[in-house]
Amino acid sequence: MKNAKYKAYVKRTPYMFLAPYICLTCIFFLYPLISAVILSFQQTNGPKSRAFVGLSNYAFVLTDPDFRKAVSNTVIYAIFSIFLQLPLSLGLAMLLNTAKDKTKGFFRLIIFSPNLVGQIFVGVIFSVLFVPRYGLFNRFMQDLLRWGLENRWLGNPSLVLPAIIITALWMYVGFNMIYFLAGLQSVDKSLIEAARIDGANAWQVFWNVTLPAIKPVATFVVVMSTIGSFQLFELPFALLKGEFGPSSSGLFIVSYLYSMAFRAGDLGTGAAVGWILTLMIMAISLAQIKISGTMKEGQ
Amino acid sequence: MEFPYGKAPFWILVLAIITGTAMMLTRKFTSAPRPDLVFIVFAPRHYEAYQKLIPEFERTHNVKVQLQQIHQRPLQTRLQSALLANTEVPDMVEIMNPFMGAFMKGPLKDVGFVDLTDRIKAENLDKRMVESRFSIWSSRGRIFALPHDVHPAALAYRRDIIEELGIDISKLETWDDFVKVAHEKIVKDLDGDGVPDRYALDMPIEGTSFFPLLLLQRGGRYFDAQGNLTMDSEVTVEMMIWYIHQTRGKDRISFPAGEGQPFYKALSDGLILFNFVPDWRSKVFEQDAPNLKGKMALMPLPVWEKGGKRTSTWGGTGLAITEQCKNKELAWELAKYLYLNKQDFSDRFAMLNIIPPLKEAWNLPAFQVPNEYYSGQKVGQLYAELAPETPPDYVGAYYEMVDGKTREVLIDGGIYYEKYGDKGLREYVKEKLRLKAEHVRRVMNRNVFLRQQEVEDSNITRGAVR
Repeated sequence: MKNAKYKAYVKRTPYMFLAPYICLTCIFFLYPLISAVILSFQQTNGPKSRAFVGLSNYAFVLTDPDFRKAVSNTVIYAIFSIFLQLPLSLGLAMLLNTAKDKTKGFFRLIIFSPNLVGQIFVGVIFSVLFVPRYGLFNRFMQDLLRWGLENRWLGNPSLVLPAIIITALWMYVGFNMIYFLAGLQSVDKSLIEAARIDGANAWQVFWNVTLPAIKPVATFVVVMSTIGSFQLFELPFALLKGEFGPSSSGLFIVSYLYSMAFRAGDLGTGAAVGWILTLMIMAISLAQIKISGTMKEGQ
Repeated sequence: MEFPYGKAPFWILVLAIITGTAMMLTRKFTSAPRPDLVFIVFAPRHYEAYQKLIPEFERTHNVKVQLQQIHQRPLQTRLQSALLANTEVPDMVEIMNPFMGAFMKGPLKDVGFVDLTDRIKAENLDKRMVESRFSIWSSRGRIFALPHDVHPAALAYRRDIIEELGIDISKLETWDDFVKVAHEKIVKDLDGDGVPDRYALDMPIEGTSFFPLLLLQRGGRYFDAQGNLTMDSEVTVEMMIWYIHQTRGKDRISFPAGEGQPFYKALSDGLILFNFVPDWRSKVFEQDAPNLKGKMALMPLPVWEKGGKRTSTWGGTGLAITEQCKNKELAWELAKYLYLNKQDFSDRFAMLNIIPPLKEAWNLPAFQVPNEYYSGQKVGQLYAELAPETPPDYVGAYYEMVDGKTREVLIDGGIYYEKYGDKGLREYVKEKLRLKAEHVRRVMNRNVFLRQQEVEDSNITRGAVR
């Protein structure tokens, strides 16, 4: 009898441990998830007014020129994040990896420090740096290139996205560098030495030894950067003072979601944008992981 | 006796019980009962002014009023979200124009604010206040907020430099006169580097705030009194072409000075000589550029055609009472106490330079006091003279979207002008405006709640006719 009771007690135990997690997941994840799906098929106006509109929200979003603009801005930003920000981060990480121990810590802190301040703070500061004629960035460009004193970085549609990319570059290069640095420090030194003894030059060592060794880190950074780029919101929002730039040049997918849900008060369309964004991020992340895995198999 | 799940879960449980109990106790001891009225404002200067006035109201009515200040953007979004979620909201709020429109997306019964129309009419306030100011707080003929101000716009200029240049302000009657004088005497490259060092006006190329201001003065607007979209009207096209000419190309008369420190540097350096200044901004100048005391002056806006309006408007605050307010009569009393208090008008003007919409208050001595900053001009009198001419603006749920879309055309038109000049500009702007208006109409037509309201309204009308 005692044995049977003990067995039932043992059987129950794991569920007891899992119960808090399951409860929290149901309350804070599953319920909102299901609500968001239902919401995306509705139009709302206040707590009492909800109307089922079928796929109308999705149809509207997918044909809305503003959404297309938001997607195009987001994709351009993501491309620059991956092809400009990440190589720079890797380059800095490699420089620091070869630096002497005493200076390494200092430069690591300096390069990483922009990330210690929030995106809003960075946005506000850069909005002042980009002011025509008096902005420090404009003055710097004028002194350096004899160009750009009167540039309206945040007022000219063709300059808004570059301004956001420059700001993000300053903020995130150091952050990604830390990941790469951690990856580089775990590369087996004996492999590098062996390659050098075999006559490999610096580029060959990098391409054939270092890069394959840090590939898991690189894949992680690429996936995280892509997800981060698709979720970009606070930085352009602060930089453009709560607006989306002239001709929506600073409109990103999450900004579009925000403007639909909280400015236009259309929570249903906002939820639909959220789901479209989720699917996009999932597809891109899976593709990136798959490509990275295929390369591994091919080697 | 041992805890059956081990030591770690035991201590986690103990910690959870202690923190939970502590939270409950703290809440019990710290949470005060809700005051009779909770009133939220966004303007720091309004907050300061009301802080002084409210104790007297509390004493005379034997009630407790809690005053809070929140930045206007979070105030709007939080209030909107709270109304949507049916959670606790303040009893009274001051809302900034044009954010009221966001609350008017559905049928009138769902606006979330008390319909003040009958109360306003009962007090004859619709006649005693500047009529045009009710338009920004109204939807489908019903008024949902009491206007705090009129905000007539004037031009503030560097009197010292203008006099040096021998410009006679009284001759700047129309905008054509203004542009002519700007070309002849103001826009100049003073150091010979090929870049002008002095411009006539501060105007951003994207038209933020200033384009709608000028459009209103010219008689155009985004919506008409019935809520119909009029963003693609002929006046908008004309206005846009004028604005593009003044902000783009080598013949432009304006410089986008931005805001904050760079703006005041440009003003102090004499880079820009004229600025659009509604009453509230005239005080901001005094406070943020004190070095220009005695060097500035104000003038009415030049007109678009002889006999036209000499002013426009920029900004506005209104006081609304939420539907959830339990003591609506008390809230209305407080609204009247704060907005119709003659002593406060004088204090408010001294503190903010803001003209009240109540016409009978304009004769108060406070408005006749010469202002040293503006070279001894009677600032109150000047704005009060302009106030009755303030054009009405009709703000609907889609106002922000329309403003954004119109200014997108302004930017695209500007880029076109820089590439091709005037050739085809009008047709280009007209077509772009038409397309944007079509887009906005498509968005407006998606609104099932407004469609339902229209059907209900038409049924009522048909019933009445029968």
